Amino acid sequence: MSLRLNINNEDRLSVSDPLTPLVDVLRDEFFLTGAKIVCREGFCGACTVLLDGRPVMSCLMPVGLAEGCAVLTVESLARDGVLSSVQQAMEEHDTVQCGMCFPGMLMTLTSFLEGARAPTREDIKAALVGNLCRCTGYERIVDAALSVASTA
Amino acid sequence: MKEDEHLYVARSLPDALAALADRAHAAAPLAGATWIMRAPIRRERLAPAYVAISRIDELRHVEILESEIRIGACVTHAELAISLALLPECRALAHAAGNSANPAVRQVATIGGNLCASAFAASDLAPALICLDAEIDLETSGGSERMTVERFLEARTSVGPGCLVRGVVIPRAARRSVHIRLPLRKAGDYPVAIVCLAATLNANGIVENARVAVGSVEPAARRWKRLEADLIGHPIDPLRAAEKAEEYAGDFHARDGVEAPGWYRVKVLGSLVRRAVQALQEERVDVAPSQHQ
Repeated sequence: MSLRLNINNEDRLSVSDPLTPLVDVLRDEFFLTGAKIVCREGFCGACTVLLDGRPVMSCLMPVGLAEGCAVLTVESLARDGVLSSVQQAMEEHDTVQCGMCFPGMLMTLTSFLEGARAPTREDIKAALVGNLCRCTGYERIVDAALSVASTA
Repeated sequence: MKEDEHLYVARSLPDALAALADRAHAAAPLAGATWIMRAPIRRERLAPAYVAISRIDELRHVEILESEIRIGACVTHAELAISLALLPECRALAHAAGNSANPAVRQVATIGGNLCASAFAASDLAPALICLDAEIDLETSGGSERMTVERFLEARTSVGPGCLVRGVVIPRAARRSVHIRLPLRKAGDYPVAIVCLAATLNANGIVENARVAVGSVEPAARRWKRLEADLIGHPIDPLRAAEKAEEYAGDFHARDGVEAPGWYRVKVLGSLVRRAVQALQEERVDVAPSQHQ
């Protein structure tokens, strides 16, 4: 039996077992390789996607529980080749290093900055508690997020 | 539920109970899934099938009534933190829900799932619920049962198949409560130890009633009755409480873990108790004498 999913605003059918982690379905079945598999424990945040607008760890989400929800991955952020405001700010602040954590960082910050009113540096750090950067590039990432918040 | 189905998404409580009964010993309830999806990492076997209960509407509400607060089993940590944010009596639980794990896990992980994860010693919610005298509603195809959270934590591995946690009930009281945790890093880690304290004070600042619960030290959270007894009848005093905690530290048989050895978990209890009593003391000014019970 196939699962009906909505991924990046497109209806898709998955033939995966419903207990398969969503991140595996995204990467292996639909070739959306932005979400990264790193810890598989919900600690690192590299696999963060938005489920009905909320950031979730797709390594801990059985794809069967994503049925009927809107899934957004990092591939959805740029439209017609134009980066989102968060992506643009990251580029302007020269934040990207190895890139492993970045899709997750972007999804968490996209969701957070949509709902936050005048967030402080501490607020942004708190929002990123579940997104680890092994290159330890946090300060510039926070700078970039603050720049988006200040122009919103 | 079909024989070869690995995940059945239930739409109502009777539907979930029927699906669990269909597969008798083979199916288990699944709420937020954040613990069960990590079973392979813990080298644990997955159940042959799961009945997902997270879409059941009646399990997803927090009801704040005059005499009690009812929390559905599938209320997430994030929802719980928001729902209880304005209730000083439940500050321990709101803080526990809003500071455990990380934001993305809190969006999904549920109170029912947290309490049912019997191998998870570092639950933030469990000691907070114990200090608030919370009880659990269990549902089976044969009927309902209510027991204290502390009793449930002891009995949960022997709860029969076909049984699921329907929700948690917290009695209302004019108490103040705090939740103090010690992770090795500022955030994102499992806590080394947790101390939760709920107390009512009389107009003279004397402790009339106290509950102390300790989590993450032993395999399951539990009350610290000897310390509770020593707090009652005395003015609230962080240093005295810390001294007593150090004196009674031998009450715990702490677990070793990758993040901390057992002796260290016990060693920090005095400091955590001091911080808990101090935090409660700082909240005292908000309590009007007429609110005491």
